[in-house]
Amino acid sequence: MKDLETKRLPTSTELTIATPEGVLFRLPLAGPASRLYAMLVDTAIVLAGLNGLGYLVYLIFAKVPGFGAMTITLLEFAIGFAYGALLEGFWNGQTVGKRLFHLRVTDESGLPLRIEQAWVRNLMRVVDALPLAYLVGGASVLSSPVMQRFGDRVAGTLVVREAPLAAPYEEASNQQKYNSFTEYPAIAIRLRRAATPDLAGLIQDALRRRNELAPYARREIYREVAAYLQAEIARFPDELVEMLSDEQYLNNAIDVLFRDQRLSRVQTCVTELVK
Amino acid sequence: MILDLERFQAQERPRWTRLESLLAQLDSRPDRLLRPAEAEQLQELYAQTASDLNRVTHGSLAPELRQYLERLVARAYGELYYARPTRSELWQPRGWLRIFTAFPEAFRRQSRYFALAVLVTFLGCALGGLAVRYDPASVDVLLPADYLRNPGLRVRQEEKGQNRRLDSAQEEAAFSGELITHNIEVSLLTAGLGVTFGIGTALLLFENGLLLGAVAVRYTQQGFGLFVTAWLLPHGAFEIPSILIAGQAGFYLARLLLRRREDRYVRESMREWLLLIAGLAMMLVWAGLMEAFFSQHHAPVLAYGFKVAVGAAELVLLTVYLLLIGRRETAAVPSATIAVGSK
Repeated sequence: MKDLETKRLPTSTELTIATPEGVLFRLPLAGPASRLYAMLVDTAIVLAGLNGLGYLVYLIFAKVPGFGAMTITLLEFAIGFAYGALLEGFWNGQTVGKRLFHLRVTDESGLPLRIEQAWVRNLMRVVDALPLAYLVGGASVLSSPVMQRFGDRVAGTLVVREAPLAAPYEEASNQQKYNSFTEYPAIAIRLRRAATPDLAGLIQDALRRRNELAPYARREIYREVAAYLQAEIARFPDELVEMLSDEQYLNNAIDVLFRDQRLSRVQTCVTELVK
Repeated sequence: MILDLERFQAQERPRWTRLESLLAQLDSRPDRLLRPAEAEQLQELYAQTASDLNRVTHGSLAPELRQYLERLVARAYGELYYARPTRSELWQPRGWLRIFTAFPEAFRRQSRYFALAVLVTFLGCALGGLAVRYDPASVDVLLPADYLRNPGLRVRQEEKGQNRRLDSAQEEAAFSGELITHNIEVSLLTAGLGVTFGIGTALLLFENGLLLGAVAVRYTQQGFGLFVTAWLLPHGAFEIPSILIAGQAGFYLARLLLRRREDRYVRESMREWLLLIAGLAMMLVWAGLMEAFFSQHHAPVLAYGFKVAVGAAELVLLTVYLLLIGRRETAAVPSATIAVGSK
């Protein structure tokens, strides 16, 4: 199991960051589709803003339309770059569109991006937009292991996916009132001693994923695991096992493996027995 | 390690919530500055949450919990290791004026890339000039049809004011806006194509030089040397150097990308590249104004000698600016620190 894990190649949709303290965490990378949607939203916003500004300029420069046209041309050009650069630079890597689609631009090392980086990656749009419809940028994203367009490669930035921060809700597990395994403290202790952490994790996982598994698969898996436990780890009396479904068997087992309070109760039983 | 997820979560959740709220608090604060006590708390919560993360990283246990902790750790990591510029650091109108001296300093620091850009352009010029000089047929290939093949006709039209699109200052203004944005865009492209390891940059510079050489020789051959100088120099004095600086930025970028990743000094290099771009953009604003408002007026209105003199004066001023403004010793310092740093 260990081997499998170390050999697993990094997938193209996440990047693992190692901090100086040796903490590893993964950043989920944003694919081209969501980035395109975010860009469309941003483009719409910029265009709407420019329309408004255009009207304003038109009013101000009513007497000198030529200068008005010049102002508009320059504004359009400047805002086209500055919108992304300033928002990303000062709003921690997000434009309105990126915020809407839960995207964020960060530094390659997982830190917030710097203002210079925001400018560089936005100015480099000139190259990424070639020859039309961001074909160069799209090709760059698809060919890059960390989904960078050329602007990102130069600026050393990434676009990451960022789902809203919310602690997962753990459903109250099926903690039963009574665990029949505790009637057989000696066997329960053997189970505790002999089960490896991997095995314990496997059982826990199998139970946690109860609702993700198709019924027949669940039955089959629970049957196999319970049979394995019964045969190899700790053999509970047949008359008890016959009364339990495989799932119930595993629930009892996990209870024995993890619940400290009950364990202490088991232990006190054991010590009493010894006395 | 056997980990009882439920108990683990119940035990540790208060910490995570505290870290979460501390981060949210920071987010809502405009200056995003930590007080010393908070910094300590953040550090501590970060370390604890990171170790919690390590405990659930194993196997396929609780993917949502792992994701949640990863996000918490990533955010705390960002806050701890990145010193955000404060508002007072950013809002320095006086500091912004520094760009006028920082640009020529950057230009001089990277002068060898400028030399390369000049060389490529010169090669293009030479080829264009020689082609037109020794093979008149090549004009058909090199120059746009209606525009430059028949200088005599063009000069007559220009001088008579026929063919003039710009009857008034209004139209000149509108034209200048287009010129400025177009030129800056082409320059950005030249600088950005450094990502093609400089090949794209070199091609654009070469093509530019080719046209320039061809036009110059064509007009001179037919005896319009003064006209074309007076026509192009007033804005060309800024426009041509700025495209050369774009080439410089492009080659600088190419060199940067050819370095090994750990030797890149991304932060300093980005600053340098941006300085060059900002400088050339300012130059192109001036060039665009000159081209629209000044260059298009010909002999009866503006004497050719005067136009050439203006262009020459611009060129001298620009040279003085690029070579003398700003600190002189900047050339030596950064390269020295980089040399030390790379060891």
